[in-house]
Amino acid sequence: MEPVKIEPTRALDEALKMQKKLAAGLKTLRELDDVGYGATDKEAIYREDKLVVYRFKGARKPTARVPILIVYALVNRPYMVDLQSDRSLVGNLLAQGEDVYLIDWGYPDRADRWLTLDDYINGYIDRSVDAVARHTGLDRINLLGICQGGAFSLCYTSLHPDKVKNLITMVTPVDFHTPDNMLSHWMRGVDTDLFVDTLGNVPADLMNWCYLTLKPVRLNQQKYIGLVDILDDKGELENFLRMEKWIFDSPDQAGEAFRQFIKDFYQGNKLVKGGLRIGEGEVDLGNITMPVLNIFAEQDHLVPPSASRVLADHVGTKDYTQLAFKGGHIGIYVSGRAQREVPPAIHNWLAQRAG
Amino acid sequence: MKDWPKNEWMDQWQALSRQYWNAFSDLTREAGNGAGRDAAAMPWHEGFEQWARMFGGPGKQSETVERVLASAKSFTAFAQSMIAAATAGNAGAAPNWAEVLRNGFKMPGADASLFSNPVAQALREISGQGVKSFEEMMQGLAPALDPAREAKSWLNVPAFGFLREHQEHYQKMAVALIEYQEQTRRYNALILKSSQRGFELFESKLAAREEPGRQIDSLRALYDLWVDAAEEAYAETALSPEFREVYGELVNAQMRVRSQIQQEVERIATDFGMPTRSELDSIGQRLHDLRREVRNGAGGQSSSLAREVESLRREVAALKAALKERTPAPAPKAAAVAPKPVKRKRSRPVAKERAQPVAALRADVKESVSAPVGAPPSREPKAAPPPRPRVTKGRAPVRAQRALPSPRAKKSVAKVAHSPTRVGHPVLSFAERMKAFARSAHKSHSTARRGGR
Repeated sequence: MEPVKIEPTRALDEALKMQKKLAAGLKTLRELDDVGYGATDKEAIYREDKLVVYRFKGARKPTARVPILIVYALVNRPYMVDLQSDRSLVGNLLAQGEDVYLIDWGYPDRADRWLTLDDYINGYIDRSVDAVARHTGLDRINLLGICQGGAFSLCYTSLHPDKVKNLITMVTPVDFHTPDNMLSHWMRGVDTDLFVDTLGNVPADLMNWCYLTLKPVRLNQQKYIGLVDILDDKGELENFLRMEKWIFDSPDQAGEAFRQFIKDFYQGNKLVKGGLRIGEGEVDLGNITMPVLNIFAEQDHLVPPSASRVLADHVGTKDYTQLAFKGGHIGIYVSGRAQREVPPAIHNWLAQRAG
Repeated sequence: MKDWPKNEWMDQWQALSRQYWNAFSDLTREAGNGAGRDAAAMPWHEGFEQWARMFGGPGKQSETVERVLASAKSFTAFAQSMIAAATAGNAGAAPNWAEVLRNGFKMPGADASLFSNPVAQALREISGQGVKSFEEMMQGLAPALDPAREAKSWLNVPAFGFLREHQEHYQKMAVALIEYQEQTRRYNALILKSSQRGFELFESKLAAREEPGRQIDSLRALYDLWVDAAEEAYAETALSPEFREVYGELVNAQMRVRSQIQQEVERIATDFGMPTRSELDSIGQRLHDLRREVRNGAGGQSSSLAREVESLRREVAALKAALKERTPAPAPKAAAVAPKPVKRKRSRPVAKERAQPVAALRADVKESVSAPVGAPPSREPKAAPPPRPRVTKGRAPVRAQRALPSPRAKKSVAKVAHSPTRVGHPVLSFAERMKAFARSAHKSHSTARRGGR
């Protein structure tokens, strides 16, 4: 039997439908205002250079005594965790009664080219943790690290274990040398020193190009064909454009921090192999003895699950919990399933360790 | 798929195409650009060209429009070719789908580069002005580089003479450009290989759909299957050791070209007296190091400066404590107001008995207080004129009053001497010190004029 059974009339119908959607949608596209993001009200509690620590304001007072500080990655903007009212990890955590803070790194420019991982981890993160601790009158707080921010949180917690009560990591790479890690595979042949010495700060466009080439046809063509289906739906179109904005609204990467991140994490895999030094201290995941919740996405093409799962083998804690989410690297924040599953899981896990 | 007699199918196909174009024309009057042509012969994706012309102008969403149209165009070209090629085949003969797909990318109007390498096309379409501009620059340079490639070995000939440094730089740049092109060719060869593998996988995926109930009945489903095959093949290639090596070399080669170009730009900027990136980076690095040092010092962390400051603080505190312990209790108030010579005499032996550092410190403070002026006559209490009455507004009379130390001022000197820190000239006013300085300068000047140099 023939594998393809398409009637010409149906094919024509499909093509015409696409044209009609375009006719309606292109007009809508031109009439759309700039899409907004950041659904939840927030206040700045600490500023330093381009960094701002925000506290999110929920509809009611938090019931959780210990706050959560979200440490996001440097490679994208952190508003992904609060993209819109019905797709907000932050909003749902607040609704559960959590007290949520977030580090916004800002957009590094040439003045930040010499910032090192020591500056980020022992400097910015440490002072942000102190600021939140002061703001809440506590000695220790909960840390929620996402993606690269998760790797930073692991380093920070290892170096300053007395300041972290509970550690949560989301889609966090730990073992950078798993066979399915395409990014790491590519980076291992790159001369990082030449790369950073030449570029200074690493341009966001170059980073985005690299991410798109992980799945070139799917991310550059198929996605936009799918967009035609929703072109006549203003709400869906706004959602799409909001996501599109987030994907390409990327900060440049501070050169020295990038150099060390690529050499020590992607190429050296020192987070699990050992020998990773941040400033004057050596990172030892065995120092992480507080409770750890590790959440990863099963269809993550940027941070494969295998890269995250191994955390269990390296942390020193006896209270380790793992949560596998059915979705991808971005779906874990914005999908409907994520809204239903992830914030309650975090809240319940923390509530059991609130004492 | 229904088997159509060839002539009947062609009629049907042309009728459908006319129908498509008529419907498209109804959607927009501007689509009538193609009205003078045979609608049945026009490729379907021509419609997207019309949209692109209408919406391709500058605007907030133009980038999105461009992407949507480019993707839709590729899809329609793919769809039309699949239908046309498959349906026009001999009735009853199973079409070679991979061949049909290959031919699909050769459709009139479709990008010629799509032929046999649609993945490469997708890679080229990826946005990013930073990347695009570099690629465009390289394409522009390509014709000029062809002859240079043949003479690559000549570029390694040592330079000499007055301009040898410049010549060497240009040789390096030319070599870097040629190497970049070589690495690009290696990379493209791998992408082409991946594309061909994609066709193979597509065929095997189609074969799996021959079972009843699993047949593909829409263009979109067919397209999605092709995307799955293309991505699977690409992932196989991209995770291979060969790709890692080629990718790394390509990136490194591009960086060498960028670096050589930057050096040339810096040389030109220097000639024009403009600041260069290296200079700014150098300043930025110094500033950053300084900030780290200051911040670490402020945080009391492990910098030598912080340790030194802490050590000095402890020393000062110890000195203060020692002073407090050894200084006699303050005299009764009446005595302090009207000091008598006898009391001052009593205090001297006490001072001599003090610990060595404390005594030295007091001496140091006293010296600093008395050094600039000696003892001007006006400081004698008895010679002090009575305060002048205020006859004018302003601060001048007050200054004049301050400029005349009273016995109380002398008492202050003694108090200051007990301070453990060097305080400069806390008693004499600024005006007083300036006057003394002027007198001293005048005296020196007069001496010099008299030949005392």
